[in-house]
Amino acid sequence: MKKRKVGGESRNGEKEVMRLGLAINRAEEKKSVEKRRSASRPKVFIIFFLTLFFLLTLLNTLPAQSRSTKKEAAVKPVAPTGQPAAPAKSSSSQKSNQAAKAPDNVRQTQPTSGVKGIPEATLKILKENRFLEEELKLAKNPQYYFVLNLKEKTLELRARGMVLKSWKASELRYSGKPVPLKVTTLTHKTALKPPERKVLNPAEAQAEETKKAEDKARQEENNKKKKEDKKDTEKTQTSATAATDTFEVEALEITDMPGSYELNFDDGLQIFVRSKSGFSERFRQARENLLWYTWYPVKHFLFRKSELKPRLILYFDNQRDAQGIYWAFIDGLKGIVWFP
Amino acid sequence: MKLWKRLLLLFSLLYLSALAILALSWIHQLKLGAEWKTAWSFELDPKAKIKPETQNAALKNKIESFHPKGVYIMVDSAENRLYLKKDSQTIKEAVVSTGSGLVLVEPGGKRSWVFDTPKGEFFVKSKIQNPYWVKPDWAFIEENEPIPKKMEDRVEAGVLGDYALGFGQGYFIHGTLYTRLLGRNVTHGCVRVADKDLEEVFKASKIGTRIYIY
Repeated sequence: MKKRKVGGESRNGEKEVMRLGLAINRAEEKKSVEKRRSASRPKVFIIFFLTLFFLLTLLNTLPAQSRSTKKEAAVKPVAPTGQPAAPAKSSSSQKSNQAAKAPDNVRQTQPTSGVKGIPEATLKILKENRFLEEELKLAKNPQYYFVLNLKEKTLELRARGMVLKSWKASELRYSGKPVPLKVTTLTHKTALKPPERKVLNPAEAQAEETKKAEDKARQEENNKKKKEDKKDTEKTQTSATAATDTFEVEALEITDMPGSYELNFDDGLQIFVRSKSGFSERFRQARENLLWYTWYPVKHFLFRKSELKPRLILYFDNQRDAQGIYWAFIDGLKGIVWFP
Repeated sequence: MKLWKRLLLLFSLLYLSALAILALSWIHQLKLGAEWKTAWSFELDPKAKIKPETQNAALKNKIESFHPKGVYIMVDSAENRLYLKKDSQTIKEAVVSTGSGLVLVEPGGKRSWVFDTPKGEFFVKSKIQNPYWVKPDWAFIEENEPIPKKMEDRVEAGVLGDYALGFGQGYFIHGTLYTRLLGRNVTHGCVRVADKDLEEVFKASKIGTRIYIY
């Protein structure tokens, strides 16, 4: 019995040890699993957020038609007259209408996204017609106007429909909400160092001139006294005549215009004109490049629901081009920005 | 966690975030491009019976009808160049002088003048050979001289060259004695041209010839 008891005790002890051992093992396993879980948690979170981020961005990139009607309503259509257009019908009925009718009888008015069922060539013509309608309004007036072609990167000064002068940008960038295809007016220009007109004061100028003349006369007299030789006096006379040949013009010229500035328009559009010449300009462009590829996408993503102002940046290799634009773009100048 | 593991995690995070920003940037560019290209549309008008192609041609014709016919003059005041054109072809190019952009204020501040060449569309209103300059008030104020009361004291011959084309409000395209200053902005608003060049412009233009200054 004892043996049995002993045996039984021993067996029981063994079992207890086994149980304990198993319990310890389980506890260790649990701990290790928890450790693993805790270690993998940040990774899982990162992966989860990244996938969410990508999904959201992809969702954001989908065309407006495939999204809900709320998103479509966010884009306010503007009629060519500048007044807000009538509220759009339901997208499905509009689509069916557009698909049903041939593109022959079409009158373009509102800016929204593309339309199915119409050939791309016809769409291009329709868009060009829309542009020509706007240009016609400007061509009727005697004042010259500008046309900015975003595809060709050209900025043209036109009068009566003919090109007076054109500039080709080496690089062009746009951000914010798209510019509606209608006439826009330049309200003001802003530059870090805007050119200043010199004011003539004839009385003061004359007094200065007489002073200068007197000083010169005194100097000449002194020279004459000091240098008795005739050759020397002749030399001074020739130098005086040479000094009169070199002239400095007191005027506001193209070279006085800034190379980097902003053009602000009545519809909120801002055009930044930049020229690549000079170290400071290169530094500025590098900074803008960095912002363009890092901050702007994030900003657009974060503020995607609010309408960001349309912005354009035009880069010119030649500083004189940028200066020429500043010269020609007077306040109140009208023009069209379009993407053919 | 060991240091190298932490560093590895940090670098991988940085790498991933950089990749995410690049991807976002790429998607952003694509989205912007699509939006700016298609930021317009139209509504179907059942009443309109004109084809888009015919409407396009009609609009182009309408705009072309505004183009100046025959000879016209273009003046680039920034580059100080004059172009004599005939049906969009340049017949003559000349170096000129345009407005200095200076401001003259009368002593006492009663009146002021801005010496700019006006910009826009103008027409030749007068053609004068051997013109005389009737000096305006600012010419005397600028020289700090008293303004004469008699008209005869204002007239000066030979200053405006051999020819002058008036385009309104006292502005002229005229010759000059100061040929050395051609190509610079030195005038009081008029367009100065060398006499040889001006002769050709004068002969080609008529009363009503259009002038575009920009």
